[in-house]
Amino acid sequence: MGKITATINGTEAHVDEGTTILEAARTVGIEIPTLCHSPDLIPTGNCRVCVVEVEGTRTLVGSCHTPIANGMVIHTRSPRVLTARKATVELLMAGHTGECVTDEHTSECDLRKLADELEGGAPRFLMRKPRWYPIEAFNPYVRRDMSQCVLCRKCISACREIAKKNVYGIAYRGFAAKVIVDFDDPLTTEICRDCGICIDYCPTGALSKPTKKSEVK
Amino acid sequence: MNTIQTQDSLTGRERENLLRKLKQAQHDFGYVSKDMMTETAQSLGLSIGEVYGITTFYSFLSVRPLGKFVIRICKSIPCYMQNAEMIIACVADEIGIKPGETTGDGKFSFELTNCIGACDIAPAMLINHQVYGQLTPGKIAEILRGCE
Ligand code: SF4
Ligand code: FES
Repeated sequence: MGKITATINGTEAHVDEGTTILEAARTVGIEIPTLCHSPDLIPTGNCRVCVVEVEGTRTLVGSCHTPIANGMVIHTRSPRVLTARKATVELLMAGHTGECVTDEHTSECDLRKLADELEGGAPRFLMRKPRWYPIEAFNPYVRRDMSQCVLCRKCISACREIAKKNVYGIAYRGFAAKVIVDFDDPLTTEICRDCGICIDYCPTGALSKPTKKSEVK
Repeated sequence: MNTIQTQDSLTGRERENLLRKLKQAQHDFGYVSKDMMTETAQSLGLSIGEVYGITTFYSFLSVRPLGKFVIRICKSIPCYMQNAEMIIACVADEIGIKPGETTGDGKFSFELTNCIGACDIAPAMLINHQVYGQLTPGKIAEILRGCE
C-alpha cells in the first residue's frame, strides 16, 4: 500500500493510501466535527457537517468519505468551511424537534452539542411546516420518535452492517423523507430483534430504549 | 458496449434491476402493489423498506392505483415562480380533490411532481403523457372538460 503525504492546516500528514481526510486529520491531532459518520460504518456522506476545503477544488468536500491524495492542501477551519458548517448545522437544527431544542441542558443530543460548539445563535431558518410524527413504541426494544430524526441514516447502516438485519429504509422525498420499516409499518417484535444497536448509533433522541411502565416516576 | 438492456435482464438478480422492475410494474398494472414490492424485494435480495423507499421517491411510480387521467403538476421553482400554487388550487377546485388523491369515480388522480422539463412553458402540467403549458384557470377548465 502506498504512502500519502498531504498538508492539513499547515501540518504534514503521512498516511496510507485509502485513508480518508477525516482519519488523516486525526493522525495529526486535528478534529473535524461529524454527525453521520461512525468509524464502524461505511461512510454515507449524508450530513455534510464534516466538509473541509481542499485547495484547487471547486466545492468543499466531505472529509469522512473522501480519500486523501498526495499533495492535497487541506483547510479544516477556513472561513469558507466554518460558514458552510455553521449553516449546515443550523439547517439540521431547523428540521429537528426534540427536548434539546427547548432544554439546553440536555446532553443526549449530538446535534445540539454541535450547534452549541458552533454557536449558531438565534435561529435563521424557520420551517413553514415542522416535521411531526407520532411517537412509535410498538415493541419493547426500540422507541421511535421520528420528529426528532435528522435523516443521518446511521440507524439504517447500523442495522444492515452490524446487526445484519436490514430493517430500515428511507422513503418519500424532500421534506417528507422518513426512515421507515417495510411499507412504513410499525416496528413490531416480528420485524425487530432485541439488539437495540440502532439506538447506540442515533445521534439524536429519535431512537431510544422504551422506559418500562414500572420505571416511570 | 451494450447499453440497451433487453427484457431478459429483468429476470436477473442484480440490484440495478430494481428500478426497471418497478417501472415495468407501473407500466403493466398502473401502480406498484405491495405484493409486487414484496416479490421484487425477495427476488433481488433487498429489504421491503428499501423497495418501498425507492418506489415512493419517484413521482412517476405510484404505490396505489391511479385514475384514468393522471394530472401531474410541477412543484419545482420555475413553475412556482409562474404561479403554480394558483394552478394547483384551480385544478383541485375543478375536480374536487387535493394532490395525492383520486376521484371517487376513478376518473382523475391528482399528483404533484418535480420538474417535468417544461420550464419554458411554466406553469405546466401533464395529463397522462400529454404536456400542457402556460396554464390559466380558463385553460384548465377547458382541458379538463376535454378529458373523456
Ligand atoms: S433515527 Fe436517528 S440514526 Fe436514524 S436517521 Fe434518524 S437521527 Fe439518524
Ligand atoms: S460526517 Fe461526513 S457527511 Fe456526515
